[in-house]
Amino acid sequence: MRLGTLAWRSLLARPLRTALSMAGVALGVAVVTATLITGSASEAALRSATADLLGSADVRLRAFADTGFTPRAVQSLRALPDVVAAAPVAERRLTAFTAPGAGERVFSLLTIGIDPAVDAQVRPPRIVSGVALSPDSPTDALVSASWASEVGLGLGDQIHLDGARPGVPPLRIIGLMADTGFAALERGEVLVIARTTLDESFLVPAPIRYLDLDLDDEDPEAALARVRAAITEPYLLETADDAASRLAAAQASFTGIAFVLGLVALVVGAFLVGNTLAMTVGERTRELGLLRAAGTTSRQVLCIILRQALALGVIGGVIGVAAGVLLAAGMIAFLSSTRAVLVSGLPIPLPGLAAAFVLGVGVTLAGAVAPAMRAASLSPVNALRPSMWRARGLGARMGWLVGIELAVVAVGVLLVPVSESGASLLPLFLSLGLLIGGAVASAYLVEPLGRVIGRPFEWFFGAQGLLGRADLSRESGRTGLTVGAMMIALAAVVALGTVAESARAGTERWVSSILPGGHAIRSSVPLDVDAFRGTFEATPGLLSASPVLELPVVRVTGEVQEETALAGIDPNVFEDQDALIISGAGRGSAFDALRSGGAALIPAALATRAEIEVGDIVTLAQPGAQGVDLVVAGIVEYTLPARTPEGAVLISSADARDTFGATSASLWIMVPQPDIPASAFAGAVRDTALQLAGQPLTAPELAGDLSRSLDRLVGLFDVLALIAVVIAALGIVNTLGIGVSERVREIAILRSHGMTAGQVQAMVVAEAAMMGAMAGVLALVVGIGVAFALVNGGASADLGAGVHLPWGLLLAVVLTGTGIAALAGLYPARVAASLPIVASLKHFE
Amino acid sequence: MPGSSAESSAPCSDSFSADAHLAAAAGSPAGRLPPMTPILEARDLVKRYPLGAGEVEALRGVSLAVAPGEFVAIMGASGSGKSTLLHLLGGLDLPTSGEVVIDGISISNLNEERRTLTRRQKTGFVFQFFNLIPLLTVAENVALPFLIAGDSMNRHRQRVDELLAMVGLSAKATHRPDQLSAGEQQRVALARALATSPAILLADEPTGNLDYTTGAEILDLLWDSADRLGQTIVLVTHDASAAAYADRVLVVRDGEIRDEIDSGRRGHHEAGPLIGRLAELGL
Repeated sequence: MRLGTLAWRSLLARPLRTALSMAGVALGVAVVTATLITGSASEAALRSATADLLGSADVRLRAFADTGFTPRAVQSLRALPDVVAAAPVAERRLTAFTAPGAGERVFSLLTIGIDPAVDAQVRPPRIVSGVALSPDSPTDALVSASWASEVGLGLGDQIHLDGARPGVPPLRIIGLMADTGFAALERGEVLVIARTTLDESFLVPAPIRYLDLDLDDEDPEAALARVRAAITEPYLLETADDAASRLAAAQASFTGIAFVLGLVALVVGAFLVGNTLAMTVGERTRELGLLRAAGTTSRQVLCIILRQALALGVIGGVIGVAAGVLLAAGMIAFLSSTRAVLVSGLPIPLPGLAAAFVLGVGVTLAGAVAPAMRAASLSPVNALRPSMWRARGLGARMGWLVGIELAVVAVGVLLVPVSESGASLLPLFLSLGLLIGGAVASAYLVEPLGRVIGRPFEWFFGAQGLLGRADLSRESGRTGLTVGAMMIALAAVVALGTVAESARAGTERWVSSILPGGHAIRSSVPLDVDAFRGTFEATPGLLSASPVLELPVVRVTGEVQEETALAGIDPNVFEDQDALIISGAGRGSAFDALRSGGAALIPAALATRAEIEVGDIVTLAQPGAQGVDLVVAGIVEYTLPARTPEGAVLISSADARDTFGATSASLWIMVPQPDIPASAFAGAVRDTALQLAGQPLTAPELAGDLSRSLDRLVGLFDVLALIAVVIAALGIVNTLGIGVSERVREIAILRSHGMTAGQVQAMVVAEAAMMGAMAGVLALVVGIGVAFALVNGGASADLGAGVHLPWGLLLAVVLTGTGIAALAGLYPARVAASLPIVASLKHFE
Repeated sequence: MPGSSAESSAPCSDSFSADAHLAAAAGSPAGRLPPMTPILEARDLVKRYPLGAGEVEALRGVSLAVAPGEFVAIMGASGSGKSTLLHLLGGLDLPTSGEVVIDGISISNLNEERRTLTRRQKTGFVFQFFNLIPLLTVAENVALPFLIAGDSMNRHRQRVDELLAMVGLSAKATHRPDQLSAGEQQRVALARALATSPAILLADEPTGNLDYTTGAEILDLLWDSADRLGQTIVLVTHDASAAAYADRVLVVRDGEIRDEIDSGRRGHHEAGPLIGRLAELGL
């Protein structure tokens, strides 16, 4: 036997503790692995979707005007010798439904019209079942396979388009598309049909939104120049990179948050390993003293402890990587089924897996360094005194704790995939810092907090609660680290819940501030205001129908022209209905300025970026037209959505008509009379929308749609955070298990004085529950702090409403923390209760 | 038979009778205890432990009876089975066969829960290694049996104060055990054992970890509680000077009570006669 054998024997001598520590490492590595794999799957899906979306096209010409390109523009481009293929794509958001009658289902779908033959030339369709569209089958349709599966549709099923001309036959699903190309848009809620079918189904042809051009490869630059010269209608030029970044922007924050949660799980695992090894070394102090007295060098002692950590890290890392692949498969399946994030396949990024493994081993070793050094530095005389180890203060552990966490964060920064996805790193890592800092602070707060939180437990459990509470302060460092680990995991849940709640509140605030009266109709094509006003005003229960005159413009700053969007609104309707959140100027004066003309309300995001203030002059122009100067009358926190990410600049509808010549609107605000029930008015608006082939919008539905997709992601993140909670619970099992093993004689004394086995169990469970409760309470503070960092750090534009606390969730976190910890305490409690009294009384004699 | 000091040189027989001992105790020449129902009885106790493939017999059919208020010492060499016997008498462990009766309750036939409750109500323990709860104050340690029973310390404040006064630690009621000397810690343990006025106080080598003077203080307290308060005490010791405090000494060897030395209740605790007697027995 060699001295190193002691390391393995020590691990084998405490199989449960060893298994729990390994499980902690494995779960942490698993979450990191899973997030890396999911990130890769997301990137692969983005690449694939972009490639499939553009196919062999070199550029995309996006129509500047909402009316789209004219057929003449398409023909003129096709006539160019440099253009191998020009695939026009028309779009219309339509309401579709299945066969009327019982079981009828209604969907809102982005309906895409293509020229099947030309389109197949540019982007061969990826069909997973059925066949692609053909030019001679006007009733054929393609849908996304995963969307069809979710809503229960299949090949051969019929779909009716709402508002279609009488006599138009229903569409028939002939093919199911893979989640790429067109099916990657709008989370798969798309319907692809022939453009001629789309045009002929309605009175008004669908606008051609963009043209994908496959140019001659010999000299693409020259070809593009000729295209630019040939096209006479306003357009925007997009490359494959632009299209990819459009798609990537939608899921940029997903990868980042998922990876940070992976790091959270690993940090919690690091706490578990470090704490366990420190406790193990503490337990074996006498044994180490004997070894030192017998001539073992400090270096040999150090090696024994580090070998144990290495074994835990390597085995836990291997198991973790394997488990991570399984977890990733589950996450990808979940994301695919909910279509919350674009993912495809189950890529196995070997460098990523190796990095996760190395991270796990590194964290384990980092956790072991300080206990190992402590063990190595003990003098034989001191080591033979059991009290020496326990007497040391909490501060001794903080150094290595912070060291571990910094190591994890540093490696995480090196590995982090979020830097590539464009998400803001600062709030994410600020959050991680808050979590780690909070955990360190937890260790110091355990004693005072325990005195407060222990009271109800003492009241409920009596002597068991008193003893359980007192035991928490026996080894405050150990308890603190265990509570800190649980706190980190629970704080992640609190932060996620708070951010989600804040985002929901932001969405509701946003939607209600831009939809005065709470109802609107969006038509698929702009409708002439004068011609259609009567139709809208015929809606029963209507107080007023207010068209929003939308038009694309450019903002002129010197020689620079920047695309923006303009929306003409009726200031009276918006003011009367208390819509729009205006800053920088008085509400009344801002609306007065709009009514007077020559004024504009600027979206806050644009104002911040372009440093525009109230009173400034902005110059807006239509393509080829003279610029118009407008005075900035106010900054609006939320504005109407537009093609530009910052939303529309608002002017009065009179200015939109008289100055910019806008005469049609595709968005109509529908304000109900005050005494009309909301449901009745919603029905009336729906009927009017049907007549006009439009889509009825209500504030709660719009907010609900946005919140639902958010909830899906938050649900997944919660699962990741709960894995961290499980790791922390393993830490509680370990800590209490060691606590019980240290106190066997004390427990025997209690038993000899008449404490029943049940009371002993209650004592240990109460101790565990108190740890959970403390972690829960601390998690509220830290989690809300993290949420503040995320919300105010600008992680999402939906968070402008500030932090909103999910009170129910906060209570649930404290109760869940207490409950999970109590469950974790059951096993050590059983062990404690079943200790033989007589044998235990002789412990250490 | 070992029922009287006159016959104590003879090895203890398995037919030792509690009734016979009580009658003999009543007629012993020194302290005189009236014949009465024993408060503690052991009936033919056998205790075997598994050892490897076989087993070892720690007690081989031990019977004894202790009268209320009696101070009994159990002596024997290491491994003789005296501590095992004490653990069985206190219900900390179960005999392989035989029966222990405390205050009329056969604890050997009770389930674990009932046995624990009986132990809580009827017995008090003092151990060699004090075994105080380090997280509790001196007063809280004394009140521990009340706390375990679900009572608050405030409700028993007076009793706790009395006990602390009895052991001379009123001034240190709020101290933690690690702030006390070894002798003080053992005095706290004694006060804790007496807190509920148990029917029997069981002491396992209570002076084994103390110096002579401190040990004598503890034995004085034990004797005082027996003599003044009528506390029944069973003391396990290998120290003749400690056993000299007892009314009666049972000598255990090889798992059996081999002899009994009945000195009766007396005001002095000279160990000389006992040591002489033990020497005769070859101990």
